[in-house]
Amino acid sequence: MKRSELLSRIFITVAVLGAVGAPLFVWARTPLIHAKVAEDGGWNPDVIQANAGEPLFLKLTSDDVVHGFAVGQMDMQSVDVLPGKVSNVTLTFDKPGIYTFFCTRWCGLNHWRMRGTIEVSGSPSDHEPALSEAAEPLYVTLGLDIDAPHDALVIPRSQPSAISGQQLAANLPIDLSTDYYRAYSPYQVFDELPNTSLTESQSWDVVAYIWQSNTTNESLSDGQQLYAQNCAACHGENGAGNGVFADDLAASGESSMQTMAGADQMTMQTPVDFTDPTRMLGASPALLQGKILRGGMGTGMPMWGSIFTEEQIWDLIAYLYSFQFDYHRGEAQ
Amino acid sequence: MQSRFFLLLFVMAGLVVAFAPFPVRPIAPQERTFRIEAGQFAYSSSEIKVNPGDTVNIQLVSTDVVHGLYVDGYDISIEADPGQTKTLSFVADKPGSFRFRCNVTCGAMHPFMIGKLSVGKKVWFYRSIGLSIIAIIGFLKFPRRPVLITAH
Repeated sequence: MKRSELLSRIFITVAVLGAVGAPLFVWARTPLIHAKVAEDGGWNPDVIQANAGEPLFLKLTSDDVVHGFAVGQMDMQSVDVLPGKVSNVTLTFDKPGIYTFFCTRWCGLNHWRMRGTIEVSGSPSDHEPALSEAAEPLYVTLGLDIDAPHDALVIPRSQPSAISGQQLAANLPIDLSTDYYRAYSPYQVFDELPNTSLTESQSWDVVAYIWQSNTTNESLSDGQQLYAQNCAACHGENGAGNGVFADDLAASGESSMQTMAGADQMTMQTPVDFTDPTRMLGASPALLQGKILRGGMGTGMPMWGSIFTEEQIWDLIAYLYSFQFDYHRGEAQ
Repeated sequence: MQSRFFLLLFVMAGLVVAFAPFPVRPIAPQERTFRIEAGQFAYSSSEIKVNPGDTVNIQLVSTDVVHGLYVDGYDISIEADPGQTKTLSFVADKPGSFRFRCNVTCGAMHPFMIGKLSVGKKVWFYRSIGLSIIAIIGFLKFPRRPVLITAH
């Protein structure tokens, strides 16, 4: 064998091994994440390390039922994780911090417990402030106790209509600003309306108009989508607190409840009925934001603070009030 | 001679039962809506009956994990997450009985999660009962001929 032939043979062998081996090496080093229902352990592993600015490759598979994968507060399409198949995900994190990944397809009563974290390291000084340094939520600024009862003392006899409220509000000195809307409950606004010749039901119509003017069609439809995907299984598709898991939650008793005051003070609470005006009209958007951010309340309510962006939570809140107010946007135009 | 006549009569009766058009009153197609609750590993109403030509709406409500519903023969399917009811609408234009099954892997017993869609009457079921009765009468009516066994 000539020397040049030997060299070329070696060169080709190395090139082929490199072309096939290098991607194979990367693929084999990519961790395979197994998804199981929360009762059987949830994600494994549930802590993933990554570096800011570098792509993170993940392989995902399910060991039982259909799951989904998405990272909270990140603009990404959720990825279905199917039994017997491997899904590939590539993520790139701009900012260092601790991100939460979660299951996006309902996989049982404890679906929402299926969460894990991605610890993204990197020097924060080079980048924007890390995630954990986000501004404090409105309910903290306002000093609201989100666990205190907040019943409305007066409720409307029929569903308030934003359309008739708009006409009535034309001559009234009312505050339509977002700050005002977020800080007060519909009942408080109703109570503080300037003393005019309006009847009770007309006053409620004006309140409905204030709420309507602080939301948009896009915001409502985004909120509706978030509600269907994340809330409806317990709170019901029509908001009445009678979702498919409501009975299961009651049956599972203490294990579906959490309280900071210890097991003795646990009382069973069913998912909140958003069609109940006494509770909903007594709750301000800031209060609802606190409840959604933190969860808990002595029930199986998940905490969504690490999952939803602030905008998504306001969209969701706007949608929740549509169980109370008649917006009828289609007719307005 | 008489036995031949009877044999012919029985054969004719058999043919009539097997191929005569079934006396079915034409039924005006209507819209039918079914609510099917899917849980591991069964459909809560696992049998639905419609008439040929009906418009069928199946509301699939999932009560634990993601389930699907695939109708054999029609080759159509939907998938529902808990809290997100989905509706499958189709026109039942093929008569017969069809299996519907879960087409989303929902756990260990997933392959056994099945139900039945019946479109129209079970024509061949009734025809086969008729044929069986004729066959039984035939066996009783005709004495079997002795079989001759010739030995060397």
